[in-house]
Amino acid sequence: MRNGAHLRCDDVVKTFDGVRALAGVSFKFAPSGITAIIGPNGAGKTTLLNVLTGFLRPDGGHCFLGDLEITHLRPHQIARLGVARTFQDLRLVLQATVLDNVMLARPLQRGERLLAALLRLGVSKQEASNRERAMDLLGFVGLEGMGQDLSSELSYGQQKLLTLACCLATEAQVLLLDEPVAGVHPEMASRILNLLRHLRDAGKLVVFVEHDMRFVRELADAVIAMDDGKVIAQGAPRDVLERPEIIEAYVA
Amino acid sequence: MEYLFHVVVIISIYAVLASSLDLIAGHAGLVSVSHAAFYGLGAYMAALVTVYFRAHFLLGMLAGITVVVAASLVVSLPSLRLRDDYFAIATFAFQLILSNLLNDWVTVTRGALGISGIPRPVIFGWEPRSNLEFAALGLSLVAVAHVVVGRLTTSPFGRVLRAIREDEVFAQSLGKDTLRFKVTVFGIAAMLASCAGALYAHYMTYIDATSFTLNESMLVLSMVIIGGAGSRWGPLFGAAVLVIIPEALRFVGFPGPLAAKLRQLSYGGLLVFMLMVRPRGLVGRYGFGR
Amino acid sequence: MQTFADSVLNASWIMLVATGFALIYRCARFFHIAHGAVFTGAAYFMFSLTHWLALPVSVAAPLAVVLGSLLGCEMEICVFRPLRRQHASSLVGLLASLGVYIVVQSTLSTIFGDDTKTVRTAGVAEGLLLAGARITSVQIVTFLLSVVVVSSVAILLRTTRIGMLIRAVANDPELSVVHGVENDRTILLAFALGSALASLAGILVALDVDMTPSMGLNPILLAVVAVIIGGADSTVGIALASLLIGVARHGAVLCLGSEWQDATSFTLLLVVLLVRPRGLLGRPRQAVGA
Repeated sequence: MRNGAHLRCDDVVKTFDGVRALAGVSFKFAPSGITAIIGPNGAGKTTLLNVLTGFLRPDGGHCFLGDLEITHLRPHQIARLGVARTFQDLRLVLQATVLDNVMLARPLQRGERLLAALLRLGVSKQEASNRERAMDLLGFVGLEGMGQDLSSELSYGQQKLLTLACCLATEAQVLLLDEPVAGVHPEMASRILNLLRHLRDAGKLVVFVEHDMRFVRELADAVIAMDDGKVIAQGAPRDVLERPEIIEAYVA
Repeated sequence: MEYLFHVVVIISIYAVLASSLDLIAGHAGLVSVSHAAFYGLGAYMAALVTVYFRAHFLLGMLAGITVVVAASLVVSLPSLRLRDDYFAIATFAFQLILSNLLNDWVTVTRGALGISGIPRPVIFGWEPRSNLEFAALGLSLVAVAHVVVGRLTTSPFGRVLRAIREDEVFAQSLGKDTLRFKVTVFGIAAMLASCAGALYAHYMTYIDATSFTLNESMLVLSMVIIGGAGSRWGPLFGAAVLVIIPEALRFVGFPGPLAAKLRQLSYGGLLVFMLMVRPRGLVGRYGFGR
Repeated sequence: MQTFADSVLNASWIMLVATGFALIYRCARFFHIAHGAVFTGAAYFMFSLTHWLALPVSVAAPLAVVLGSLLGCEMEICVFRPLRRQHASSLVGLLASLGVYIVVQSTLSTIFGDDTKTVRTAGVAEGLLLAGARITSVQIVTFLLSVVVVSSVAILLRTTRIGMLIRAVANDPELSVVHGVENDRTILLAFALGSALASLAGILVALDVDMTPSMGLNPILLAVVAVIIGGADSTVGIALASLLIGVARHGAVLCLGSEWQDATSFTLLLVVLLVRPRGLLGRPRQAVGA
């Protein structure tokens, strides 16, 4: 877990079948706070997230977490460095309970090692403490009492809260959220956004991809505007969002 | 009575095979049709070591386990990164190749002649002689396998396996090295299968390659699917059901080879039927591929 | 020289089976292992026609191809289309196809027995001596036919309307329900055509080396390897891959001994799986999109 380390990318390029999804993206994220990534469909926002978290290998450029180059690290290795993420298409173990999902996310579990699992060496103690932490997190996101429910039976908004709880369970310092409030009721949306505020106050870095400018204005400390695989503007929300080319990129 | 105990031994062997296959196919979602290959490797190693080297039965089992772990790595490391059906194809290829190898490498395996005269195992001075004693041995092996599989699946390790089965990308995003889990669990399943093979070799005292073919792998897979994948008792149930069918047929008067073919026909058909209608199997929790 | 001739012959029927297999894979999106059962089934159809209806080979063979094609179509209609309706994954398709293979093989085994059957009218053909290699007339026909048929299929795919339909379905990632009926018909066509190719190969091989109920297993494995190496959408790739496999197998017999001939195919498969530039990671719905 690297507290206060800067997440940054230098000149990242990613091509798919001849189309440049990322055409040289460079950005240095703040160590904490809320950063929003905005841009029209196809701008490369999710691609950038995938590259940063190791799910895609860039064709050029580098990514760093502090001093460590993470460009060619595999997803689980980057996750272990304290970078958690959510996905545009909600990903969960739907056939498992809510609690199971959050406990899955807990890091450094002794019980995941072969020998410890077979011989039950100190596993139950860690499981108990993980369970406690998981319950706390469920309470924090507003899913208290739903631990034993099957994840598939939750509403869409509740499932989004669950993915957030899982991210938090990893004790990550950096959270990359791909459209965290898309498709949820306004009430649920403000709940989620409130949670993000709490996380910022706790000193974490929250990066979220968003389409709704109201949320960006309300919440973000910094904004990155992308279009056509490039960063076309960056800075404080009020500066970026007033720019004519941003407004044009959205309208056009 | 002896016959009954014989059936118990056979059910035990298949119960171990089905439980271990369920570990990878039912819990981790890694469908393999090469389980009989590891079963066969265990059997042949046990036979070769005890017959030609006159070594102790445990050494034979150890040799089997070692060979099987190496073989499992050869199959799993290249193919576990791939989509589940590509992995199944890789196991399919491995199974066929191994069957052919066991049959054709006459200098080592004696090909179609098989290896006979496999001695009975001696465990701390005890040498099982009757079917009853072998049944006891078999059931002990089942208990061991059940405990191993149970321990793994009810621990955090098992939680990761089920996550891998459902959404491997999600598991990776939470910091789980999914490849390591898959390779490990595939190896464990192979080891259990090889122990079943050793038991088979010492019980039958004669083995040849015809017992370890793709049909055998499919039979075990059917036991898992029909009994119910991903459940505690499903594989055991499936093993019992699919062993008893041909025995029952033989009782009613069908000749041995015909009974075997009819069993094959019925489990093939049952497999297709289950996949189409009730992928959860008879007692299982996990439905394939939905 | 004999080795070369054997390799080319081997490659010929692998190519036939593989092209048919690839056609089905491109449209129906799963590994249709029961393709090997169609291969075998056609040979036995011909056996039945020549033995029970006393038809000459020249009549029985084309008829058997048609029957084999129908067998493949029946599989699609009875098993795979319903599975597709339920959005079954490609893994389930593979497993179901394996089940169907077993059903067909055990049915053939029950009806005809496991012994080798022959449809050859003259005794064992001596073959002509061509440039140092013994080649029978059947083998020459096999080679010529496979080249002609596969080329025709390639041309058909390129130029005719049917071919365009097949390629459209093959390239459609969603297999959109809107065009459901058209998709179904096109897939059925792919099964018909692909199964016809496998049937032809099965008949030619049976004319060359007789038949057993399990004769389809190795060919389908080699076909799968050829398709994976050569690429499902490249006829030339499949042809070259088939040649590579043929050469590798017979080369292995020459250098290592006949028991290793399939191990070389497997090694080829593993190497390709390891090295393949296109990502095959994860299930389709798990692939992390752009």
